[in-house]
Amino acid sequence: MGKQYEIPMGAQHVSLLEPLHFKFTTENEKIVDTTANVYYVHRGIEQACCSKFKFRQVSFVVGRVCGLCSISHSTAYSQVAEKLVKIEIPRRAKYLRMLVIELDRIHSHLLCLSHVAENSGFEALFMKTMQYREFSMEMLEAICGNRIQYDFSIVGGVSRDLKPQVGQMVLDRLKNFKPQLEELLDIYQNNWTLSLKNKGAGAITREDALRLNVVGPFARAAGLDIDVRNETEDLLPWKEVGFEIVTEKAGDVHARNIVRLNELFVSMRMIENIINGLPESDLITETKAFPDGEAVVRLEAPRGELFYYAKGNKTQILERLKIKAPTFSNVSAMVEAFKGNEYGSTPAIIASYDPCLSCTSR
Amino acid sequence: MKRIETSIDQVKNDIRNFYKPDLHHFMVINAVDLGEKIEIQWFFCDYAYPGEITAFCTQIQPETVIPSIRDIVESAWVAEAELVDLMNINIENTAKGFVLEPDFESGPLRKKK
Repeated sequence: MGKQYEIPMGAQHVSLLEPLHFKFTTENEKIVDTTANVYYVHRGIEQACCSKFKFRQVSFVVGRVCGLCSISHSTAYSQVAEKLVKIEIPRRAKYLRMLVIELDRIHSHLLCLSHVAENSGFEALFMKTMQYREFSMEMLEAICGNRIQYDFSIVGGVSRDLKPQVGQMVLDRLKNFKPQLEELLDIYQNNWTLSLKNKGAGAITREDALRLNVVGPFARAAGLDIDVRNETEDLLPWKEVGFEIVTEKAGDVHARNIVRLNELFVSMRMIENIINGLPESDLITETKAFPDGEAVVRLEAPRGELFYYAKGNKTQILERLKIKAPTFSNVSAMVEAFKGNEYGSTPAIIASYDPCLSCTSR
Repeated sequence: MKRIETSIDQVKNDIRNFYKPDLHHFMVINAVDLGEKIEIQWFFCDYAYPGEITAFCTQIQPETVIPSIRDIVESAWVAEAELVDLMNINIENTAKGFVLEPDFESGPLRKKK
């Protein structure tokens, strides 16, 4: 056995985008053990939602849980609140929610991929990926009025309609985006240098993914075909607009890249179907009811399963709101997947996890 | 959501009998402060029957020590560590200081008396 060294990484580190702390125990550059701490960004959002804000205002508060998957949080909360006040939202609102969620997935996945490229030492690809991501940011701004923090899903429906000219603009821009995405897939899949860095790095098996209850692209890259969009047809009609699950088998950084890129092709197809088949109806279902009882909702955020639990007591203020973010489910596997890897691979591996500590610690 | 009411003595056995890693997905442990008591909820969903969510629920006194389920569900340590910090409850073999810094005031999600 060689001499062991403990190397801390984070909470502030050049290759960590999130305030996350790892302590790696290494032996001859190989990681033999890892511990993690996530305690740097607890903001008391759940408590604020159950004390300072009325239940209709909470969708705006939870939209601030995360900058990247703001729409997932406000939609999941709106869905759980709609269960508590027992309303069904209009069909057009369901379609518009899916539209923004899928555009958001494009912007989130491309951000993750760009950082994997950057942390693998491929800065030109980082620039290119970020450049192509701009399309989704501009479309989100055109639809929601903001590039992030959309405040689009509200209790009962959505806050804005899609103007026909904006819908047409999204379709036109998608045509330009498709060859860009194909170019990215080609580079991430076939570039020799990137493959050397990413193939085999940070791998987990399908059995490990099951055992550690991994979610999102992290799980699907290991061959576990779980996606909440496949399971929540009652809340949003995902299959109707062309949802298909994407999986890979290797479970490593490379497989996570490919899963994310291939999911963007599915997202593009769904966006086209949503805009072309957008139903005519109201945008919101009005109700004067107060939340009563308890309900849970799951939604596939860009990083995986987002879980909301809410309990109402027939007043304006919720009794309890619980948020479980996808990264929270993946912490155990994140720690596990480092083992046996070179210390030098950790930046790319961490980026491929796509961790979000703002969501996790709330 | 399917609620299974259980007791603190029985909950671990119930989860052990229920949970099969290739059939069930462990989601999270939640706690609701009811005032005098705290309700603990262990959430699972079913891979085979999408959308079916099962919650094992039990009410405890705040000082009760809750059994850890990490020998059944390995990844549950994260949810257990979070509950210890945010709800200031006791879970066996679980230390404070994972979600909140060790010197932070414990139990920010508990109701103020």
